[in-house]
Amino acid sequence: MLDGLKIRPSGDSAVLVEFENRIDPEVNRSVRSLALAIASEPLPGIKEVLPAYRALMVIYDPLEMEYRLLEKKINFWIKIAKNIDLPPGRFFRLPTVYGAVHGPDLQRVAETTRLSPEKVIQMFFTTRFMVYFIGFICGLAYLGGLPESLRVPRLATPRTLVPAGSVGLAGGQANAISTDQPSGFNYIGRTFVNLYDPHLFPPVSFLSGDEIQFIPVDEEEAVKAKGKLAVDFL
Amino acid sequence: MKGFKVSNPGVFTTIQDLGRPGYMKYGIPASGAADRFSAQVANLLVGNPPGAALLEVTLFRLELLALNELIIAVTGGNLSPNLNGKSLPMWQALALREGDRVAFRARKEGFRAYLAIQGGFSMREFLGSRSVFVRGLMGNVLQTGEILEIANPVPPYIPFNKNLQEMIPIFANKNELRVILGPQDDRFTPNGIETFLTSAYRVSSQSDRMGYRLEGSKIEHLKGADIISEPIARGAIQVPGDGLPILLLWDAQVSGGYTKIANVISADLDRLAQIMPGENLQFKSVTLQEAHEALREERAGLERIRKMIEERRP
Repeated sequence: MLDGLKIRPSGDSAVLVEFENRIDPEVNRSVRSLALAIASEPLPGIKEVLPAYRALMVIYDPLEMEYRLLEKKINFWIKIAKNIDLPPGRFFRLPTVYGAVHGPDLQRVAETTRLSPEKVIQMFFTTRFMVYFIGFICGLAYLGGLPESLRVPRLATPRTLVPAGSVGLAGGQANAISTDQPSGFNYIGRTFVNLYDPHLFPPVSFLSGDEIQFIPVDEEEAVKAKGKLAVDFL
Repeated sequence: MKGFKVSNPGVFTTIQDLGRPGYMKYGIPASGAADRFSAQVANLLVGNPPGAALLEVTLFRLELLALNELIIAVTGGNLSPNLNGKSLPMWQALALREGDRVAFRARKEGFRAYLAIQGGFSMREFLGSRSVFVRGLMGNVLQTGEILEIANPVPPYIPFNKNLQEMIPIFANKNELRVILGPQDDRFTPNGIETFLTSAYRVSSQSDRMGYRLEGSKIEHLKGADIISEPIARGAIQVPGDGLPILLLWDAQVSGGYTKIANVISADLDRLAQIMPGENLQFKSVTLQEAHEALREERAGLERIRKMIEERRP
């Protein structure tokens, strides 16, 4: 077993492989390489491979594949993964309208960080965010790369409904939520690009390893993106 | 072909099949019938493949009007199903005539019933499944006046005449759930683990297909409740900062950043579908081996029923 690496059951049909306990592009590359190594050897007992920030979950059918065997296979794939080159991610530039009704938390983020709203927007939009993984609900992209000076806490009371496309931040993370949903993030802008469509395959816009920049535009320009997909903004 | 007209959609009625496993990597939970055993038996009774789309009925009030000659079977929780005002036998195939009315009047036992129709219910498929997942914009709950179509109509016939009621184990010990501790059981104090395994937890009214919030003794963390967000398996029991556990179920988010103390074993997930808010739960720790043995037994039980129905087919 490798340094800091743990393999342990998560219930009777899933196993969690844990790398170093930090959000870091290199750690995440190891996770994604392992996901590819597992995918390169499709076995009937393996039902899903879910890479995350610094952990990876394998969902399996214990009656088709015994836990001990799976554990052995995972140790083998970890070795294989070291020689895997990750495919390059794509780079999306999403038109985003910042502030006012579309960014209800911009003012508070500015006050918390002691920066002007303009400076907050500038620091945010010049960041090339990396998609670490896809999860939560309806393809939420977990983004990393937020500048340290934009670190603000989550809302004490989450909003019960935030509209799809809202772009926000909390802790060291950022996101653009894909469907209307409750959230405790601080929302500073909104993109009208359609980020989730259950009729498409895949229904989500991003994959881990992709990069995103939220380009500031005025409202008129932003709403022109309605009905368009993220791939229209590569 | 038309099956039913919805006279009253009930509290929360959805079309479900066995779900859409394989898309958690896109942030999409597998969904599907909460009580998979009851759902599959209902389908087998009417001659459908076990994973055909059927109705998952919650609590009561659903009322349907038959628009054709139909073959149905009702399984799962006993929500006092009736046919034209008279009690309708569960766990067996029944022939309905055009104009017949099926209604679910009051909960007697369990929480979710399944109504299968010969030919299966029709609905647009999302990612290869007809399971309604409202938050993911994949279908919706039944609406008043809606017409429910049959996906693959066949000339009506009763494939199996017997009533299966006596063979059904689902209500045995349903409030005691077996769990595998972890993956973050090392983030709780020994006291915390003890509390979790010895207290009764009440299922809160804020519970649905996504998850059950539990009320009761607070579980003590060792050093905070937050972890770096990671994938969540079905049946995971996460404990956020307030120390009160949340069971994550069929339509739950696929990732999250709270410590998970344990995970309900697969063989006990069906019985959770039959727990009503207000009931108490208790957790019992078992080994991985015991969990896998329980799953093997559960699948063998369903397989026995499948074989019995197939052998007696006219």
